Amino acid sequence: MKSFSSFHPTILFLYYLLVIFISMFTMNPVILGCSLVGSILFFSMMNSPRAILKDIIYYFLVFILIAITNPIFSHNGETVLFFLNDKPVTVEAIIYGIAIGTMLIAVIFWSKSYSQVMTSDKFVYLFGRAIPKLSLVLSMALRFIPMFKEQIKKVNQVQKTLGLYSSDSITDRVLSGIRVLNSVLTWSLENAINQADSMKSRGYGLKGRTNFSLFKFDKRDMTILIAIILISVIVVLGFAFNIFEFYYYPAISILKLSRVGILEYIFIFILMILPFIIEVKENIHWKLLRSKI
Amino acid sequence: MNDKKIKNIIIIILIPLCIALGVIIFKDRKYNLISMIIAILSCIPIFLTFEKGETSTRRIVIIAVMIAISVAGRVAFTALQGFKPVAAIVIITAIYLGAEAGFLTGSMSAIISNIYFGQGPWTPCQMFSWGMIGFIAGLPFMQKLLLKNRVVLSIYGIFSGIIFSLIMDIWTTLSIDGIYNMKRYMAAVATSFPFMAIYAISNVVFLMLALKPFGEKLERIKIKYGI
Repeated sequence: MKSFSSFHPTILFLYYLLVIFISMFTMNPVILGCSLVGSILFFSMMNSPRAILKDIIYYFLVFILIAITNPIFSHNGETVLFFLNDKPVTVEAIIYGIAIGTMLIAVIFWSKSYSQVMTSDKFVYLFGRAIPKLSLVLSMALRFIPMFKEQIKKVNQVQKTLGLYSSDSITDRVLSGIRVLNSVLTWSLENAINQADSMKSRGYGLKGRTNFSLFKFDKRDMTILIAIILISVIVVLGFAFNIFEFYYYPAISILKLSRVGILEYIFIFILMILPFIIEVKENIHWKLLRSKI
Repeated sequence: MNDKKIKNIIIIILIPLCIALGVIIFKDRKYNLISMIIAILSCIPIFLTFEKGETSTRRIVIIAVMIAISVAGRVAFTALQGFKPVAAIVIITAIYLGAEAGFLTGSMSAIISNIYFGQGPWTPCQMFSWGMIGFIAGLPFMQKLLLKNRVVLSIYGIFSGIIFSLIMDIWTTLSIDGIYNMKRYMAAVATSFPFMAIYAISNVVFLMLALKPFGEKLERIKIKYGI
């Protein structure tokens, strides 16, 4: 089920902007942890277990690499563990590496689910009015790519049958690649001009034309928009009052956990796992409906 | 006139403002976020010129074709590991269609190829570097020079491979350290060196072999349809 992606594109874009910005804005370990958990949970709702496992293992290795290498490049911090080539390896640097690794991987997982949720039609819908020409270029190029790939395969097969460049040497591979691309270019340029003329004759770019779209801003969107705005106001206030302040160098600062602080962290956690909650809720709803049949 | 003002505002005010904010609010430690925002901001002036300018539908479609070719072109070279035609096609487009078209082809190719190969915080940086490779190649004096002189062309191919790799290494450094760490940068450059070499060589090979046939086609379309 993909329930979160059925929200209005504005909501989705706003949400991702907010979440990625918060994750990159702060170094607070609790916020970064929430962001990582939220991004992985939502990503795992959208993909098959195998794909999830593969990605998690790969990024876990990246994470370890960053955490281990940071003390090699950074010698700040006052708690020295040992000396490596006369350079101090500090606890602070290791923990900073862990934090930055968490941030990087959280942002990567957010971007991964972003490209699954914000499909190009939604992007074009959102920005079609503000940047009509660029979004046209984008959507046309996206349509051309599968078409060209198909054509490249066809031309390649035909040329192989003709006996052109069929050996395995590198020169032959390069030459055949360029030859194929060249013929696809000829074919596509003529096609494209036809398309442009046809668009023009149908009045593309004239005033008063409307665009077809399937997206409607309904009650559900309004509710979630209000929720997101409320949470972000609370979070911004938290930043303004330095509740999330956290230092790694020279010594790791202590996490301030006042009553307000805990409340703030709860709100951040809710914000980060919002897409996951929506997916789970929808899944339960679906199962209930099915069990009634 | 108005759009020119907007562009100037973006370059003259917003970018330094962004850096100042980075220094004041983040105490000079959040280079990753700031650099991402600046990369996006620096793409905006050219996007705006394209958006507000008198661009014919035919030209728009040709640019879309070149972007799609640069991304789909990878399929034609799947037998060759690491051989990516993107930068070379961006340069060819720039030589024949101008700086603006070159920048657009480069930056949009970055967005679109990342849709297939993984979008991430590196996208703005990639957009900017491929875009600039196209923009520089499309400047009038560079166009002439690159067309006439094969040596200059191959040097530019090598240059664009190296500069792309170096800029992306800056991204790696900033995103891991949060600030610019020279040692980390050197390590990143060293590890990415083999890719950089393959990239630079493939650029040169591709430019040498494809400039003439691809150029003829673009020239013909330009003359036939008056783009």
